[in-house]
Amino acid sequence: MTNFTRRSFTSALALGVAAPAFLRNASAQSPTIKIGQVVPITGPAAEAGKYAMAGAKIALDEINKKGGILGKQVEIITEDDQTTNPGAVLAFSKLATNPEIVAFVTSIRSTQVHAMAPDIAKIAKPTMFGGTDPTLTKLGNPWLFRCRPNDTFSGKVIAEFGVKELGLKKWGIVHSTDAFGTNGMKALEASLLALGVTPVAIQGYANQSQDFTPVVLALKQAGIDIISSYFTFENDLGIFARQLRQLGVNAPWVGSPSIVNTTAIKLAGPALNNTYGVADYAEESSPEAKAFADSYRAMMKVAPDNQSSWTYDGMHLLALAFNKAGKTDPDAVRAAMLSIKGYKGAEGEYNFDANGDGLHGYNVVKNVGGKIEFAKHIEFPA
Amino acid sequence: MDIVFQLLFQGIGIGSVYALVALGFVLIFRATNVVNFAQGEFSMVAAFLMVIFSVDLEWPYWISFLLSLGGMAIYGALFNLGVYFPLRHRTYLPVIISTIGASILVSNSTLALYGPQPQVLQPLLDFPGFNIGTVYLDAQYLLIIGVTVVLVAFQYWFFEHTLLGKKLQATSQDKEMASLLGIPVATMIMLTFVYSAMIGGLAGIMVAPILFVSIHMGGTIALKAFAATIIGGFGDVAGAIIGGLALGVIETFGAAYVSVPYKDGFAFLVLVAFLVFRPQGIFGERVAEKA
Repeated sequence: MTNFTRRSFTSALALGVAAPAFLRNASAQSPTIKIGQVVPITGPAAEAGKYAMAGAKIALDEINKKGGILGKQVEIITEDDQTTNPGAVLAFSKLATNPEIVAFVTSIRSTQVHAMAPDIAKIAKPTMFGGTDPTLTKLGNPWLFRCRPNDTFSGKVIAEFGVKELGLKKWGIVHSTDAFGTNGMKALEASLLALGVTPVAIQGYANQSQDFTPVVLALKQAGIDIISSYFTFENDLGIFARQLRQLGVNAPWVGSPSIVNTTAIKLAGPALNNTYGVADYAEESSPEAKAFADSYRAMMKVAPDNQSSWTYDGMHLLALAFNKAGKTDPDAVRAAMLSIKGYKGAEGEYNFDANGDGLHGYNVVKNVGGKIEFAKHIEFPA
Repeated sequence: MDIVFQLLFQGIGIGSVYALVALGFVLIFRATNVVNFAQGEFSMVAAFLMVIFSVDLEWPYWISFLLSLGGMAIYGALFNLGVYFPLRHRTYLPVIISTIGASILVSNSTLALYGPQPQVLQPLLDFPGFNIGTVYLDAQYLLIIGVTVVLVAFQYWFFEHTLLGKKLQATSQDKEMASLLGIPVATMIMLTFVYSAMIGGLAGIMVAPILFVSIHMGGTIALKAFAATIIGGFGDVAGAIIGGLALGVIETFGAAYVSVPYKDGFAFLVLVAFLVFRPQGIFGERVAEKA
């Protein structure tokens, strides 16, 4: 320590400042191409995390079978986000310190993507995510690429379907008070206002609630004739659905994607019969979606949902962008990603816009006795 | 008015769950002078046992129920031997840390063994509930309220009118004196853990058809139950029941008439208010004196 001079301190500082630039390109020497995945292995979303890993794994096997990325085999390195924001930040930081990782597949939860966004901007490598909060691609962070349609579209589709197809005007909106739920609600409210409809009741709730009686009674009192919802966790959705029906509210319900996912249907059972959901992933919506469903069923023995389809697409889009760029240089990969047009994934057709949004439409599906039936696809221009 | 009754019913229903778990807290606190932070996991473990027996193995509901409660008795005994007994001569702090450690260990072990998927447990009764006027009475909540009333009555009879109950009371009041009088203190504490695990387990099994079975199901309930014991008066059985019920009702009405997102906030606002203005709770001694 006695030899630690001002010069060596300055050199160390300069090295520290320059290190990220070296780290960004250190992957060129690695025998495999490594992609980091931030995923909930523990915590309330651990179930969904399992599906997300399966989707990525199916894509990984397909990519490697076709020769990998830039002629190298691909491998995924996972870190547990513990279903919390600090956990997600920690998991991402751990992956970011590995210079061999060239890109990331992160979270389906908007609040976690918000938490990780500053670190993603700092490490400056392509990052796929599934959170649907519309503001995420407007943060000015050039490294975020969304593999699901954002909630501007879900809000628009829910509003269009409810007002024009079902002809209902007295809307009640139930939403989680986290980033996903609140921004989803705002987008839906704006879409409804654009159609000349003002919601009669908007009810927020904190995640992991045990009782929704006050929410249901408020909807009842407001005299709603249609419900729309933005639920983050399936167990909340399950409890709400049951209490809604028990307390005699049988109005049509058009929910955000969580209403049609496998866990929600299992937990809520018949309480979700005849509900509509906007679904970014619907098995019958395209041959690509069907092919993914077949591979997923063979591996997991359950029906796939959006928890796995977006990671599947995310991996394929990364492979496509890297191979198109011809190198691992992040700027070149970013340009290649943004130039992807007409790529048919499991979620739909990807046409990246300048913000990094890949998809611009939603499917409307109906829960018929626990089985999800495809109703229609509504697409908006990119 | 119907809305008030509906909220009251729901509040008492969820409050009964808090009360049952709070009862488990209080019994262990009285016997050992420490708060068992793994009390919520008692509920979670019992609900998972129920899923294993009645859903996975498809055994009849009543047999599964009895086996799960039996399992909880064994679990309570093992918990005592592993978490409390080795530290019984130490101050309260290492024991509290030990229970927190046990809580983390148990929930993560359950996750590793059983996976993260929330499970559905069918309710005991076939009919879901009925209406009185426009007020809907959920059968499972009615059952929970009924079981709480019966348990409270049983507990009163047991502690006041049986020799074993009196020995347990004596142990909780003064261990040295009880020991001098020939009461096997270690056995009494063991029995307290067994009984507390069974009550916590019962609460878990009763609430599982409503809240689903997941490793997180015990966490929030235990936190509310802990608040209930402080509101009621730490160490007081009647206080735990009143505290639990009050908390359930306050948070339900608070959510309905003030704000739904801050529902959990009301519970803890009441807790803070009690700690500031009446730290001994409704019935009990001051927490500071006990600690």
